[in-house]
Amino acid sequence: MTWDVLWPLLWQATLETLWMVLPSALIAQILGTALGAVLTLTRPGGLRPQAVVYRGLDAVVNVGRSLPFIILLVLLIPLTRLITGTSIGSTAATVPLTMAAIPFVARLVDGALRDVPGGVVEAARAMGASTAQTVFKVLLPEARPALVHGFTVMLVSLIGYSAMAGAIGGGGLGDVAIRYGYQRFETGVMIATVLALLVLVQAVQWLGDRIATRTDHR
Amino acid sequence: MSTAPPPPALEFSRVTKTYPGQPQAALQDLTLRIPRGSRTGIIGRSGAGKSTLVRLISGLETPDLGHIQVQGQPLTPATLKQLQARTGLVFQHFNLLAQRSVLHNVTLPLELRGTPKVLRERRARELLQLVGLEALAGRYPAQLSGGQKQRVGIARALVTDPDLLLADEATSALDPETSAGLLTLLTELQRERDLTLILVTHQLEVIRAATTHVAVLDQGRLVEAGETASVLRQPQSAVTRALLDAHRPEHPLLAGETLHHLTLPDLGAATLDRLARQRARIVRAEAHALGVDVWLTAPDHVPAAELGRTGLGGTGLSGIETPRLIPEVSA
Ligand SMILES: Nc1ncnc2c1ncn2[C@@H]1O[C@H](COP(=O)(O)OP(=O)(O)OP(=O)(O)O)[C@@H](O)[C@H]1O
Ligand SMILES: [Mg+2]
Repeated sequence: MTWDVLWPLLWQATLETLWMVLPSALIAQILGTALGAVLTLTRPGGLRPQAVVYRGLDAVVNVGRSLPFIILLVLLIPLTRLITGTSIGSTAATVPLTMAAIPFVARLVDGALRDVPGGVVEAARAMGASTAQTVFKVLLPEARPALVHGFTVMLVSLIGYSAMAGAIGGGGLGDVAIRYGYQRFETGVMIATVLALLVLVQAVQWLGDRIATRTDHR
Repeated sequence: MSTAPPPPALEFSRVTKTYPGQPQAALQDLTLRIPRGSRTGIIGRSGAGKSTLVRLISGLETPDLGHIQVQGQPLTPATLKQLQARTGLVFQHFNLLAQRSVLHNVTLPLELRGTPKVLRERRARELLQLVGLEALAGRYPAQLSGGQKQRVGIARALVTDPDLLLADEATSALDPETSAGLLTLLTELQRERDLTLILVTHQLEVIRAATTHVAVLDQGRLVEAGETASVLRQPQSAVTRALLDAHRPEHPLLAGETLHHLTLPDLGAATLDRLARQRARIVRAEAHALGVDVWLTAPDHVPAAELGRTGLGGTGLSGIETPRLIPEVSA
């Protein structure tokens, strides 16, 4: 395969990967943050201890985290069909990707929020802050660098997962690697895809780290 | 017609608080009135219940028994928000928000109350000026010294214009000079703004330097309360006397000198510690009572370090003999 064929192929596949990963990451970040905040608030000793809610959600998150992505991909096919009308292609892949990322984000957010010093939370409470104010004005802003870092880690994982989704017809760089590299023995294409993934991951990591340090005032 | 006197700034009536799972109450049957416009010190050893007192006033904990009145109003879930607005809190470890600028740390209490941005920033700048930090409004807490951080803490506590200011060990994390500067600032602010200031501390110097009234806590109980001058002059409880002893400046005992007609509290714990290090011997009171000016020999001589165990500390002594040959070791 020549460069002028390979280039558009890789470029197209990279865009597909981003199309799968970015919306999934954004939705997962929002839902995962909400879930993580609920975990922090309801855990014993939290601002709103709710043992039953906490234990239930904690178990759900643990199960979600321990399911291998490839299994999740298959398990979620009915849900994916329901939401996107199909179970094949980049758009369809966003459903399992989002679902895989939510518990991951929830764990990271829960950890980040619990790392906010208790004294600061106490100061806010003594100023009369409501629970919602404590979350939105104190916990989340104070945890921002850790949250940005967590988002980066999640994005990198999702790029990896998306390659797996690609392998079963999701499109993107993983799909190219399988179709050309594995099925047609075009080792060059395989290597090029791997390099493209590497560059993508590096770029995301670099950007995320940079934003996290730039905005951290500690 | 006579008008009723204004209510005390703060009144605890038979308040008991036990933390879950703790065998002992953190505060036990506490009754205490803190006069309006006073600078009241709360002193006691570690674990005495001082911080618990502050947490109850600021609504971070609720009492198991008894009630609390702030400015004549009972502290209940219904009045909590309103009373919290009238109470400012200053913390030992400042508790500033690391990701907010100095200015926005000070605006936070107003932001939580929904004060418009322009108003709250103007007000925060006024307070930063009051504590001498207007030039540092744009910095972040990590870029400040400990003393500066605490000034931000004070500005933040006062931004809602409270009439009660609570400071829990506000100067304990700072060096003596910075600490003295902050106490002066707090005292001035209390006078100018007609605040009631509550200074929680385990340091007697803080009580001496900055308070008009003092309450002494021990193991969750109030052991003594009154005007600072009279409590310090005539402590009524053993706990207060022990606190005074521990903070008495060292007696300038010279090597080779012999002192007569001293009581142990005259000397204080610091001096006794030094005497113990120097292996000083004290002479029993009975010997002196006989009028004999002869120092007894061992075993009647008791090393200063043993005083507490022999019970001599309570009965007084006739003299202390410091050894001639051991030079003063400077710390
Ligand atoms: N959150 C808590 N949970 C359980 N026990 C607590 C808690 N906070 C304080 N205590 C206990 O209550 C008692 C009083 O504590 P408090 O913090 O009021 O003392 P303090 O006088 O402020 O001491 P310090 O000078 O060390 O600050 C102590 O025995 C302490 O161990
Ligand atoms: Mg304390």
